[in-house]
Formats: sequence, C-alpha cells, structure tokens
Amino acid sequence: MTLLAVSNLTKRYRRGNKTIAAVDDVSFHIDPGETLALAGPSGSGKSTIARLALRLIEPDDGRIDFEGGDFLALSGAALRARRARLQMVFQDPLAAFNPRATVARVLDDPLRIHGIASRGERPRRIAALLERVGLTADLAPRAIHEISGGQRQRVAIARAIATKPSLIVLDEAVSALDVSVRGEILELLLDLQRQEKIAYLFISHDLGVIRSVAHRVILLDAGRIAENGDARTVIDAPQSAIGKALVAAAPRLNRTGP
Amino acid sequence: MTALALIRNLTVTYRRDGSEVAALRSVSLDIEAGERLAIIGESGSGKSTLALAIAGLLPGSAKIGGRIDWFLSSLGAKAPPSVLPDISPSRGEIGSFAVGSSPATLVIGEGGNKGAISPLEGEMSGRTEGGLIECRSQKSASKQSHIPRLGRDIGFVFQDPSASLDPVMTIGKQIAEVARTHLGLTWSQSYARAKGLLERVRLPDPDSALRAFPHQLSGGQKQRVAIAAAIAAGPKLLIADEATSALDTIVQAEIVALIRRLVTEDGMTLLFISHDIALAAELAERIAVFRHGQLVELGMTAQIVGAPAQPYTRALLDAHIGLDTRPLLNRARLRA
Repeated sequence: MTLLAVSNLTKRYRRGNKTIAAVDDVSFHIDPGETLALAGPSGSGKSTIARLALRLIEPDDGRIDFEGGDFLALSGAALRARRARLQMVFQDPLAAFNPRATVARVLDDPLRIHGIASRGERPRRIAALLERVGLTADLAPRAIHEISGGQRQRVAIARAIATKPSLIVLDEAVSALDVSVRGEILELLLDLQRQEKIAYLFISHDLGVIRSVAHRVILLDAGRIAENGDARTVIDAPQSAIGKALVAAAPRLNRTGP
Repeated sequence: MTALALIRNLTVTYRRDGSEVAALRSVSLDIEAGERLAIIGESGSGKSTLALAIAGLLPGSAKIGGRIDWFLSSLGAKAPPSVLPDISPSRGEIGSFAVGSSPATLVIGEGGNKGAISPLEGEMSGRTEGGLIECRSQKSASKQSHIPRLGRDIGFVFQDPSASLDPVMTIGKQIAEVARTHLGLTWSQSYARAKGLLERVRLPDPDSALRAFPHQLSGGQKQRVAIAAAIAAGPKLLIADEATSALDTIVQAEIVALIRRLVTEDGMTLLFISHDIALAAELAERIAVFRHGQLVELGMTAQIVGAPAQPYTRALLDAHIGLDTRPLLNRARLRA
C-alpha cells in the first residue's frame, strides 16, 4: 500500500507582475518504511514540496493522499489527528524549539497535545524517548540552548517519533551537523526506520548522503522533476542535465595517498 | 618559499558566563606567501577564531596571547606605489616601520586590559582587541613594512554575504569604497575599478549591477560581490571563512573555481576555512586540521588525505560520505 501519494502538485508565487511556479505538476509516492530523497539546486522546489506535504502551505493545484485518505480535505480535529502520523525535523532545531524550554517540555508537548500519555505517565515516556534516540534521561531538565547541536537534533527526532508517525519529513536534517555527529544521526534514523517502519521524505543538497541512506531519489530543477529512480542508479549515472551538474559539482576525496 | 606570516603560540580566550574558554591554545603555524592553505575542523575547533585573529577582527572581550610576525613588504607589491600607496595607519599609537629583512612584529601581551587599539582594525570602527599590543621593528633598510590592515592587506569573505553587504548601499559603491579608502583613488576611478572587479568575478551585466542593491541578487551573486569587495584593494592575503557553506553544491563549485582563479591571477595567499575536508582538499595545497582549539596535523593535501598521521584526521576522512562511499543502507541491511 502506498503511504503518501502526491499527484500533479503545483504551487505558484507572484513576484512583481510575474507568476513563478515553485512546484510545477509534481507527482510521486512513498511506500511504508521507504526513504525518498529530494535533491536539487536552491530554488528547485524541494523545501516547498516538504511544506506542501506537511500542509504548512496549501497548493494551488494537485492532490495529496496520506494513509489512504485525501489529506487536503482534512481540517480541524481530523487534520490534527492525522498530523500526528506525519512529523518533521528541520535543519536547525534551535530555530524550531523555544530555546528557553527544557528538553522535557519539548517532548511533553506532543504527548499532551495528542493525548498520547496521561500527566503521570509522561515523565516515564519522556525518559523512554530520550533513550530511544541514544540520550540519557538526565538530559530532561536541561535547557534546549545548553545542549550540543547533535543532542538537539536527537531531541528533535525524539519529538518527531513521540506521536508514532508513519512518515517523517527530514528537511536538511543532518546538513548543519559536524561530520562525526552526522554519521551517528543517520545511523539512528536508519535504525528507527528498520524498527518502526517509518518512511522518510529526505530533503538534502548532499548527493553523497542521499546515495548512502535513500532508497529512491527525485532530482528537481526549477520546480519540475528532472529525473527519478533508484538512488544509487541515478547518482552513479545521472541522465538529466541537472543530475550531471549536481554530480560533477560534488567534492571528491581522493584517498590514494601522496 | 617565503613566509607571509609566522604565527607563534597564539592563544585566544573568550569569557563566557563568567568562566574563561580557550578558543585557541598555543597555535604555531606558518603561512607561506602565495600558497592556498586550508584550515579545517568541526564546530568548536577554533578555525574561525584563527581567521578572525589573523584579520584582527576578534571582539574586544577576547584575551589574546602569542605573536604574529608579518612579512608583507619583502614580497614586493604587484602594483607600483602610485597605485598601491603605503598608507600609514591613522592611529597615533601605531607607527609605520622601515624594515629590511626583519618583519613587522605584533607582540601580543597577556596583560589584557589596557585597551590598546588594534592596528588591524582599519575602518572597522568599534572593534578593538583586548590584548595589549606592542609593535616592534628594526630600522635597517629602506623598504617599508607595516602591520596588515583589513581591506588593504587582508581581504575577508564571510559565510553569509547578506550579512556582510550593506542592504541599502549599491553594489558599486560598496566595492568602490574599498578601493577609494585603501588606494587613494577618486570616486570615478573607484567606480571604474569596481566595474572591472564585477567583470572579474563574472557577474552578468556589470554596468547595471553597479547600481543594483544586494537584495536584487541571488546568494551566489552576492558572494561574488563580497569577493570583489574583498579583493578591491589588492590584498596579499584572502581569507574565506566558510565562504561557500551556505550555497548549494553547484554554486559552491563555481565560487571555489572563482576563488582559485582570482588567487592565482593576483598571486594572493589564500586561507580557506572550512568544515568540509573534501572541499578543502580540492582547493588547497596544504591542510591544517584543528580540534578543540589546537592544531592537530599540518601537511600537504595529498599526505593529509592519503596518509594522515593523526587518528583524528583519519576519523574526519572516514566520516566523509562521498559519491563512492559504501552506503549506510547496505551496511544496515547486512546487520539486520
């Protein structure tokens, strides 16, 4: 069964007198437990697609089916309930969280808002979530701004999985992390995917990372799909002009020695 | 090779929440004239503090120890003195020194609180260094040397061009201002130079770009403008601090190629600060690896990348996920 199906999605912006299609007639699907990556240069529409899929913005045209129902038709309580199944992690968790909030508060919110655990039960659930993402429960009283960037991104992932989602949108979620931390976060995401069958819409400018963790990839250019297919097949031998340009521009490390 | 700058036991300490944090610990490093040197490291490694210390841009609250010896005049200016006048620093405390083979030396005391004004600040008013700085020189020959000035001797390109460009000043004026300040040109000469620089950084339609404002340009175009302003006075040293990190991959490759071309054409020395070891390896002849404020390893790029001596360098290389790295997805499948 398809988890997310996007059909003929279009989003236009007005700039002066001109109308620009940031997303232009884009269709794709994601299966349960699958990682679909979106890549492309700045302005190619990848982040707009993420925001449309989350319904942070509304499309001008097209259809989104999520978990077998018309996602764009939902509103009010039905939309809030369905949103528990569709979570997000952004590049900079410090911008996404109230910086003065504690780790416990950040994780308490989704459990409370979605009625997942009672007040008495929540501290135990928070501790379990922290352990699930490789942190310890003693981090709970710490302020968000006090912990490291890698720890913050783990907290963001813990918050995302708190509502037991079937799909998480990862918008450049590992791009700002140090390389040593990035590998650990990618391992965590793959582990969660294997254990919980979570699907990812993985947005990144980094073809190396996409090739490493994604099942399939869509290459976008000026709001349209330029190429799509198996991540390693596409990146190892791109056919589109933008695919060739992206691969050619990726820095290469020649470790053969002096 | 001749040295452009010798950095000896450079230590920089910041005050944070009442306690002192060492951002750089006794770093010694030679910058060779004309080389492309990359400084790489993760967050907290001290790489940006090093760049700011070299450019004289550290905040007044920073405590600085150690010394930087500059060999600016011994290199010979590319342009005749009429085009590149040796403007003496305007501050009274700082002299301009006649030296021969001996360098202009900055001795940075540990004393700290005397509020001496950095000779590097140039027109960057409001920035002062915390350390007591004493300038030493020996009169021995006729050649003029000086403590480097930002803008004239050192060009600095920051990560975010939107933050380094003035949003309400035309592109042309921002570049012309640098040339006018440091080269003593008239405004019309400075604008002519600005137009030439916009052509050199390959900005489309330089004539209308001169009159454009930063918000009318893309991120990559803004960074080209920031580079044009940085090299407007013909600096000996260009410092690029994560200058391509906010750009997408294709634009990043274009800006790296532009920096390489400009540095080669003008015989500039390049200090390329980056978190990305693969990117640094594509551009630099030598790589210095920093961690926790210390220099871990320094070597030729091929040696650092191909035969690293330090475990930390090896770990950084292993953490790189390139287009030929075995996918994590496959490794996970094997374990599952």
